[in-house]
Amino acid sequence: MAYAYLFKYIIIGDTGVGKSCLLLQFTDKRFQPVHDLTIGVEFGARMITIDGKQIKLQIWDTAGQESFRSITRSYYRGAAGALLVYDITRRDTFNHLTTWLEDARQHSNSNMVIMLIGNKSDLESRREVKKEEGEAFAREHGLIFMETSAKTASNVEEAFINTAKEIYEKIQEGVFDINNEANGIKIGPQHPTTNSTLSGSQGGQQPGGGCC
Amino acid sequence: MDPRCRRTMLTRVKSAVANFMGGMMAGGSNGDHPGGSDLPLKFPYSRPEFLGLSPDEIECSADHIARPILILKETKRLPWSTGYAEVINAGKSTLNEDQACCEVLVVKRRPAGTDGSEDLTLHYWALFDGHAGSGAAVVASRLLHHHIALHLQEVMEILCTPNLLPPTSSLRGAAGAPGSPSTPPTRFFTEKKVSHESLVIGAIENAFKDMDVQIEKEKAVYNISGGCTALVAVYLLGKLYVGNAGDSRAIIIRAGEVIPMSAEFTPESERQRLQFLAYMQPHLLGNEFTHLEFPRRVQRKEVGKKMLYRDFTMSGWAYKTIEEDDLKFPLIYGEGKKARVLATIGVTRGLGDHNLKVHDSNIYIKPFLSCCPEVRAYPLGQCEHGANDVLVLGTDGLWDVLSNQEVAEAVTCFLSNCDPDDQHRYTMAAQDLVMRARGVLKDRGWRISNDRLGSGDDISVYIIPLMYGNKQN
Repeated sequence: MAYAYLFKYIIIGDTGVGKSCLLLQFTDKRFQPVHDLTIGVEFGARMITIDGKQIKLQIWDTAGQESFRSITRSYYRGAAGALLVYDITRRDTFNHLTTWLEDARQHSNSNMVIMLIGNKSDLESRREVKKEEGEAFAREHGLIFMETSAKTASNVEEAFINTAKEIYEKIQEGVFDINNEANGIKIGPQHPTTNSTLSGSQGGQQPGGGCC
Repeated sequence: MDPRCRRTMLTRVKSAVANFMGGMMAGGSNGDHPGGSDLPLKFPYSRPEFLGLSPDEIECSADHIARPILILKETKRLPWSTGYAEVINAGKSTLNEDQACCEVLVVKRRPAGTDGSEDLTLHYWALFDGHAGSGAAVVASRLLHHHIALHLQEVMEILCTPNLLPPTSSLRGAAGAPGSPSTPPTRFFTEKKVSHESLVIGAIENAFKDMDVQIEKEKAVYNISGGCTALVAVYLLGKLYVGNAGDSRAIIIRAGEVIPMSAEFTPESERQRLQFLAYMQPHLLGNEFTHLEFPRRVQRKEVGKKMLYRDFTMSGWAYKTIEEDDLKFPLIYGEGKKARVLATIGVTRGLGDHNLKVHDSNIYIKPFLSCCPEVRAYPLGQCEHGANDVLVLGTDGLWDVLSNQEVAEAVTCFLSNCDPDDQHRYTMAAQDLVMRARGVLKDRGWRISNDRLGSGDDISVYIIPLMYGNKQN
């Protein structure tokens, strides 16, 4: 399907915080209470609209387990956005954020937009991490922040879309070099090239199933 | 030869090499013959069926920047809990030109209706490494196992009768009426005794030949681009057979020890066969190549002088007086991974490539490129196997950067640290192996352990636990 831009996302965070469930809720609008452990990388995709433009989100869902860390690390490259997820009912997943953030900063491009997500907001009674703590961590490290529930779908759309809005704004500001695919952004087949007088009607060049 | 001709020749070969590599770089899925591209595809490009990927997932898999390692999904399982992982190249072609297939086939007696007790169950794993397009690899991955099943069907009555030596003449009448296996024709003691094992080997060999012929024929109506290597493992009646045509590799790791199950077919390993063919049929060289090998290109000023050479009869070297003819481009040129036949191709067995010619010439590569596999048998049922004893199949992307020993150590070490009840252990081991061969992207490209260069090629790996073969009977 035609799109103006493609943004590549990566979802990271400790095992069991709900990364795969967030993805499933976002792409398929359903919740799967029992989910197999992700042991490699899984992919999802969905089209969204920002500023009247079709944007394809390509989302890489990674394994959270320590033993897969070196593989996960190798997937930061070429991502425009990252969802860094912790579980509000497990303090340790919040404590590990610094390590995840270090990893992300070290292995991604410096402009990558990072959204901090406190997931499982439906489990208020078992909450171990206050919302204010998440907000403070995000403020301190320059991240966007939201609490979500993959189960009730609360804020899930917003988390993915707000990240895209931030990336889109950075493109408008010229922060991203959109011609460098290592930034995780690809221009769609029908997007008129900058400084071009072409009418943009020459689309349809997109190779099916080509590289991203 | 007039020096101008020689220059033309040199330019031609140089551009042939450049074109071949250029073709690889551009890597379009139909990066070969003009004219063929108007035809429909026999099968669309895809990833192995058992991965069950959506078009979006296939698009993600082709990310040359992050090079994701694809594994079996948690919900999917292959026979024998086989592990599988693959990764795309670092940019040499748009698509992943490796293909894979894994099937359990039941071969039935031909006249349907007879009792089903003698159905043959066939386990099949295969890897294909395509070049100059993905067409041949995709077609072979969809069809080769059917050819194997077809050939086994022809001999299954014999195979299913353990005490019956294959009769020299067929059990069936000319019309195909079933004969009685219990009354084989009289044997003469001078007859060669043929084992069941060699009947299976013959079936696999002929299946490769039929597959190649089918590709050639169907090129008339379909766009089947390029060629491919093929490596297959077949488990049948307690034995494991590995057939190889190309430069992929299979090894068994048993109690940490390596048992090679294949050997690579490259211009260097097949030099004498290729030289002999060119010597017997010099027209195949189009008067532009010499079948002799020299340690380096011969220069015009060296005519009349003595130089080291090798002919098809030799594994060692000798001196000969250089003649005008020796100035032609050598049939086999280059060393190691860079060795090429007719300055064009670096692998000497495989399927497809029927239209492949030396650049800007009418010289066909195919007569030198054989589709015939080498098949080795392993008496799986006669050996005990533990949970860490496996067959590893990998395309050259794996073996270019890791030795048999390194692979054996990595796999054994990984599996020993796994929970023996974890169903995904062989898939995780395959993922680990691909990761070790791909490496990590650093400032100076993909790097693996000890700062060695990682593989920029497509990499595909099966890890097949052998203990399930012991349980099978």
